[in-house]
Amino acid sequence: MPSAMGYVIVGAVLFALGLIGFLVRRNLIVIFLSTEVMFQGIVLNAAAFARFHHHLEGQAYALFLLVIAAVEAGLALGLVMLLYRRKDTLDADAWSFMRG
Amino acid sequence: MTSTTAYVLYLVSALGAASLYFLLPRAGPSKMAIGAALGVSAFVGLFGILGTQDSVERSDEIFFHLFGIAAILAAARVITHPKPVYSAIYFVVVVIAVAALLVLQNAEFLAVALVLIYAGAILVTYLFVIMLAQQPGSPIYDRRSREPFLAVVVGFILMALIAGRAGELPTRAAEKTVLADGERIPASTASLLPSNTMAIGAAVTTQYVVALELAGVLLLVSMVGAIALSRKRITSDVVRSPRRALGQIGKEVDPF
Repeated sequence: MPSAMGYVIVGAVLFALGLIGFLVRRNLIVIFLSTEVMFQGIVLNAAAFARFHHHLEGQAYALFLLVIAAVEAGLALGLVMLLYRRKDTLDADAWSFMRG
Repeated sequence: MTSTTAYVLYLVSALGAASLYFLLPRAGPSKMAIGAALGVSAFVGLFGILGTQDSVERSDEIFFHLFGIAAILAAARVITHPKPVYSAIYFVVVVIAVAALLVLQNAEFLAVALVLIYAGAILVTYLFVIMLAQQPGSPIYDRRSREPFLAVVVGFILMALIAGRAGELPTRAAEKTVLADGERIPASTASLLPSNTMAIGAAVTTQYVVALELAGVLLLVSMVGAIALSRKRITSDVVRSPRRALGQIGKEVDPF
């Protein structure tokens, strides 16, 4: 019987790529796209373990993850539009004074 | 999985990290060729290992490799492409590849929901915002990365840790195991239902019904929040030059 290794590794790669994109990119929209890539990695992992354990818990978990992703996208994009109208730029560094 | 395999996986992660470092938007001449070469070697290493290990079902193997490579390639392009519109389009490829991988894992409902919600709803919203907030030309913040080296190192460490541990996963239990936990829906019950969609529906409306209600409330709250955010009148901090008539533009030159 095979293990869940392949899917877990692909999910980990997707998550790591999303994390790098989140840290590296300066465009607010691409930053939030990177979080969606991370979500994809997690959904893949949850489904892999659901199959691994022959249990639907992972799939139900992934379904609620989709809800969270939709909520996050709606709020984040509203926020991005707000910030864009304020500064006329999508550069995250324009808001670096909030660092304190 | 031997420790040698783990070390090869670390090496593959390092190769992939180096490739990503060269692919990220940067000042100076583009080093895409070096990045692409390193990336190809990382792919060969990763999927070579996954091929030799007992990582997926033999019957699924070719599709797993196909869609796994597509997902990772497209995800790399999402974070490296200098134009946000193309990033969003590559993200659609990621979603479709992940949906295909979900189908391989008998999660048909999840796969369809993923395509519907992501490619159908979330991506359209992203594209709307990209079009609304698009700057003319290619602005500087899309052509420069912020601390690419440190970020790639962090990603590499995370990736190497997970990949190194993933090989120690035990192989899957035999089919139709009934779990000892009485409260959960045992796998045997789930497999009695005719389809994955029905099984998920049964699980969500019985065992996770509180979470389902909470998810509905959360969606409502976020809808109210998004409307409140976008209705707010925002004055721009940027001082715009007063508009001039079309024929006047470019006629006056400030004295210097």
